[in-house]
Amino acid sequence: MTLPTPLPLWPLLWRLICYTPKLALVDAGLWLLISGVFPAIPGLIIQGYFDALTETAPLALSPLAFLGLLVATSVGEIVALFAGQWVRTQYRFNLRSLLRHNLLDQLLQQPGAQPLSIAEGPQRQTISPGEAISYFREDPELIEQTIVKTADLIGYGLFALGAIGLLLRLNPQITLMVFLPLAVISAAVQQAQQKIKQYRRASRRATQAVTGFLGEIFTAVQVLKATGTETAVLNHLNHLNGQRQQQMVKDRLLITVLNSGFENLTNLGIGFILLLMATGRTSATSGLSVGDFALFIYYLALVATAFRAFGQYLTWLKQTEVSFERLRALHRPDSLTEHRSSPAAAAFALVAHQPLYLAGLWGRQPPLPPLQPPHPEAPSHFKELAVVGLSYHYPHASRGIEAISFSLRRGSLTVITGPVGSGKTTLLRVLLGLLPRQTGTIYWNGQPVEHPATFFCPPRSAYTPQVPHLFSDTLRNNLLLELEKSDAALGEALRLSVFAQDVGAMPMGLATLVGTRGVRLSGGQRQRAAAARMLVRQPELLIFDDLSSALDVETEQSLWEGLFATGQATAAGRPTCLITSNRPAVLRRADRIIVLNEGRIEAMGRFDELPSLS
Amino acid sequence: MRLAFRQFTSNPYTRLLGRYLKSQRLRVVGLALTLFFSIALQLINPQVLRYFIDTALNPEPGASLPQAALLFISIALITQGLTLMSTYLGETVAWQATNALRTDLAAHCLHLDLSFHQSRTPGELVERVDGDVTTLARFFAQFTLYILGNSLLLLGILAVLWLEDWRAGLSLTLFVRFAVGGLTRLLRFALPVWVAYRQLSARFFGFLSEYLAGREDLQANGSNGYVMHRFYQMLQQWLPIFHRARWAQTVLWSSSVALLTTGNIIALSVGAYLWSQQAITIGTVYLIFYYTNQLRQPMASILSELSDFQQAQASILRVQELLTTPSRLPPAGDRPLPSDALGVTFDHVGFSYDADPPHDWALQDVSWCLPAGQVLGVVGRTGSGKTTLTRLLLRFYAPQAGTISLGQVPLETVSPAGLRQRVGIVTQDVQLFQASVRDNLTLFDPAIEDGQIQHALEALGLLDWLRSHPQGLDTLLAADSGGLSAGEAQLLAFARIWLRNPSLVILDEASSRLDLLTERRVEQATQQLIQRRTGIIIAHRLSTLKHVDYILVLEQGKVVEYGPRQDLANQATSRFGRIVQRSHTVRPALWLLPCLHPTTPSPR
Repeated sequence: MTLPTPLPLWPLLWRLICYTPKLALVDAGLWLLISGVFPAIPGLIIQGYFDALTETAPLALSPLAFLGLLVATSVGEIVALFAGQWVRTQYRFNLRSLLRHNLLDQLLQQPGAQPLSIAEGPQRQTISPGEAISYFREDPELIEQTIVKTADLIGYGLFALGAIGLLLRLNPQITLMVFLPLAVISAAVQQAQQKIKQYRRASRRATQAVTGFLGEIFTAVQVLKATGTETAVLNHLNHLNGQRQQQMVKDRLLITVLNSGFENLTNLGIGFILLLMATGRTSATSGLSVGDFALFIYYLALVATAFRAFGQYLTWLKQTEVSFERLRALHRPDSLTEHRSSPAAAAFALVAHQPLYLAGLWGRQPPLPPLQPPHPEAPSHFKELAVVGLSYHYPHASRGIEAISFSLRRGSLTVITGPVGSGKTTLLRVLLGLLPRQTGTIYWNGQPVEHPATFFCPPRSAYTPQVPHLFSDTLRNNLLLELEKSDAALGEALRLSVFAQDVGAMPMGLATLVGTRGVRLSGGQRQRAAAARMLVRQPELLIFDDLSSALDVETEQSLWEGLFATGQATAAGRPTCLITSNRPAVLRRADRIIVLNEGRIEAMGRFDELPSLS
Repeated sequence: MRLAFRQFTSNPYTRLLGRYLKSQRLRVVGLALTLFFSIALQLINPQVLRYFIDTALNPEPGASLPQAALLFISIALITQGLTLMSTYLGETVAWQATNALRTDLAAHCLHLDLSFHQSRTPGELVERVDGDVTTLARFFAQFTLYILGNSLLLLGILAVLWLEDWRAGLSLTLFVRFAVGGLTRLLRFALPVWVAYRQLSARFFGFLSEYLAGREDLQANGSNGYVMHRFYQMLQQWLPIFHRARWAQTVLWSSSVALLTTGNIIALSVGAYLWSQQAITIGTVYLIFYYTNQLRQPMASILSELSDFQQAQASILRVQELLTTPSRLPPAGDRPLPSDALGVTFDHVGFSYDADPPHDWALQDVSWCLPAGQVLGVVGRTGSGKTTLTRLLLRFYAPQAGTISLGQVPLETVSPAGLRQRVGIVTQDVQLFQASVRDNLTLFDPAIEDGQIQHALEALGLLDWLRSHPQGLDTLLAADSGGLSAGEAQLLAFARIWLRNPSLVILDEASSRLDLLTERRVEQATQQLIQRRTGIIIAHRLSTLKHVDYILVLEQGKVVEYGPRQDLANQATSRFGRIVQRSHTVRPALWLLPCLHPTTPSPR
């Protein structure tokens, strides 16, 4: 696949519209009224008024009666506006939330340790979480705006048809000679909209560069402060800002050329009417009364607005296409099961109907579903985990793992060890599906595991990464992540991870706010909190990546002792652990050591069996 | 109208505007001129129309209708050109000004103390620095073009109407006065709703970016469902606020519809009355009606811009709040540090992260003194205050009690720039940017030459790694520690410090992610780095502390032991001495970690 195939825009939009069909229908109906019917009425009233004034009117109503009609129309319009906005707000929120929901869902499905990336042709380019947010912010809003504008557009269209029909009856010549060129010019200006897509893409990219960089600055604030390089960094920001400015001004200018062009078309149209009346004085034009003239000008303005709305709508459509393409580019197809399905499948996943648990129009809020544990069915009792021929290579580097095969039994302690960059963390990540394996099979109790990402979860296994992520929430929420566990179970997890003392020393205890990325805790506390998070889930297989690095030896010692002591006391026996470590003390305890070097297994065995260690 | 205008000029918002517009005087003047002329032309055209109608109904000799029509058309075309010009100028001015504001905001945030950054997610800050300022860009641009321009057009129309007939002028002026007054009052009640909306929006995106960054943890612990659960909760909170904000907007919109109808009715009734009095021609009745309708466009624009102005006001409030957030640190001094090696002194220092009132002391009555050019090793369990020590040294926080001095100069009197230049730190947490390797090493400082960078990489054994990338220093690192192992990232952080050449070097658990082989390389480099400098090393491992001169043992924020390393190592009863005795000195595999662990006693 070299070129991205164009997306089927209308089926996608239709699928979105069908999400809340009742809302869509009511919204369309109300706004058809507001944009199609209500604007037409005052024109006719004005016509009647002027004719009544100059006594050329067929109806014998006084001018003041017409003014009364004007009031009535206005009242009706206001009522319709309130109803329409209310329904539309609900509708729009549903749509944009659905898109964001599906996008988040898709991103969470991707392998957790693989950085987010967008497809740019055949390659993929990684993006930071800060840039990813720009996708969540603008594109869903753009897409749902286009959808609601469709209803408006139909309204405008109906009005335009009605108005032109009416005017044709009054004076076909002027109508044709003014409205036809108007339509043609509108269409020609519309062609220039091609440029808009290009400019939009460029300005989006420039914006992404700025927001991405800002995100990185604020994440790295400690480093920048420590090195005093704020000025240099800010200069770079200025540079990015300047680039964005150029793009945005070009973008805006083009849009204004098109917009103001339409506005002035009205005036040009009036000018043409005047010209036609002036030059064609003796022909059929002399049948026009002041009222008819007023009607012409009134409707001319509105029809020009309708044409412009149509043109703007086409622009919105193009931008919506861009937005869908952008959102689709975030999706990463599974590399192993390279499904050759059309790229549109990813886009359709974005508009799939999923429950959102939002309150309805009348404010009734549905309850949220209870949190489902990942494997509601009873876990198969773990006996053996085997890995055959596992390999993975990072996309732009030569590093990775190659032909990794090993097995581990229930109750054993397996330690992966090796020098820096030998692939220890990579191995764990590929095993857990946090990186997509390229070759090899994983066997759990003899059965092959198709999708390690969804398979290796509590209560089967849990994981503490080398650099754990904590979230700006209370400590309790970080540990439990709304899992249903008794206080006793939580206390036990804290004890096992040698964290209970620290929590006891905190004045707010478990209710302490952890701060962004867990910065209010020390490095060791963060790792132990992550360990507690893992342990409270009581998994059958514990996976630690380099617990040693942030713990001093004594703390680490207590942790292992506590863990294995517990195991012996329970019927489950010793917990099964798979860890990476370079500490001799841990290596001595291990039932099996796997020595990695440059991505391959160099040796396997117990501590005393390995000559390079003892 | 005048009241609204006065409001605009006197409040702090326009001061914010004015500051950033001063540098673009020429463009602003050009903008004003184009606006003025386009308004004038828009006022003239309806007169042509009136002339046309009256002359068509009562043809006079010598009157030329085709010429009037052509005049009308040419005025329309010229107006078009002026509109384009004003857009270009307006947008350029706006973006230039807001880019300056963006940088100022980012700079201000960077200069704020760490406690500010720890209570906010980066995503939230980006939303404030960029999201709010982008709203402002629209405001800066559209305000001039639409609000100002349209207000002038409004005034122009009213003036012309007065000239036509005082009764028309009076009634419509009163109408406009009432309309604008009513609308601005309505706007004010809608503002807090928008502030709340934007706040929730910032929180939502902050939450999203946090969870996207922590996908690894969430997936492997089966907590994807938790994220979606939080997502649903936030949506449920958001919907009613969205409804409220939109409802406020609808009130404004429908008020404008009502007012416009009222305006038309006034115009048409005045017209009918004057016509019945034979005071004006039918053309003038139409003229009054046409001008009143011309009021619709500027009023609608002003209205929609004012509701965007609402959102902009919300953003301005938030931007101002950010700009005026003071740093929790007391203001720094500007004394330079002595130019030779720096000694470090802690004098009865006490510190707590909770400011008011301080409790839960991270450091209590800490006193020690490190002579210049010596190296200190800090030992202690996790959470004993070692990292806090370094944060105080870098003046990220200020101690509540006691003084810290560098080279006999109290830290609170040193200029921050001078401090950053002379003190360097390498931590466990390495932050990488999605930029070139060069930019990551120099942190965007163009003054550092490639030769220096190569030398630094060589000293740290990273040259092979660099050579494995064909683009060398220009290689772009991907987001999220682009493909570097934790050890390699650590060495990169070392290179950064190497390039900065500080007088005091702090290594905070810097080598704990490295195996022994890599650590040996780092050790050698460290030796060179601290040769004629003062150093403070925080580590868990004995080998890291092999070459330090002094040892400080911390426990629960208090100093338990302090003294020269040799002395303490030789005393069997000292804490450090006991640690040394338990050390494991046989290291068969080069990459194992030697550790402070009681196993086989070492042959001493």
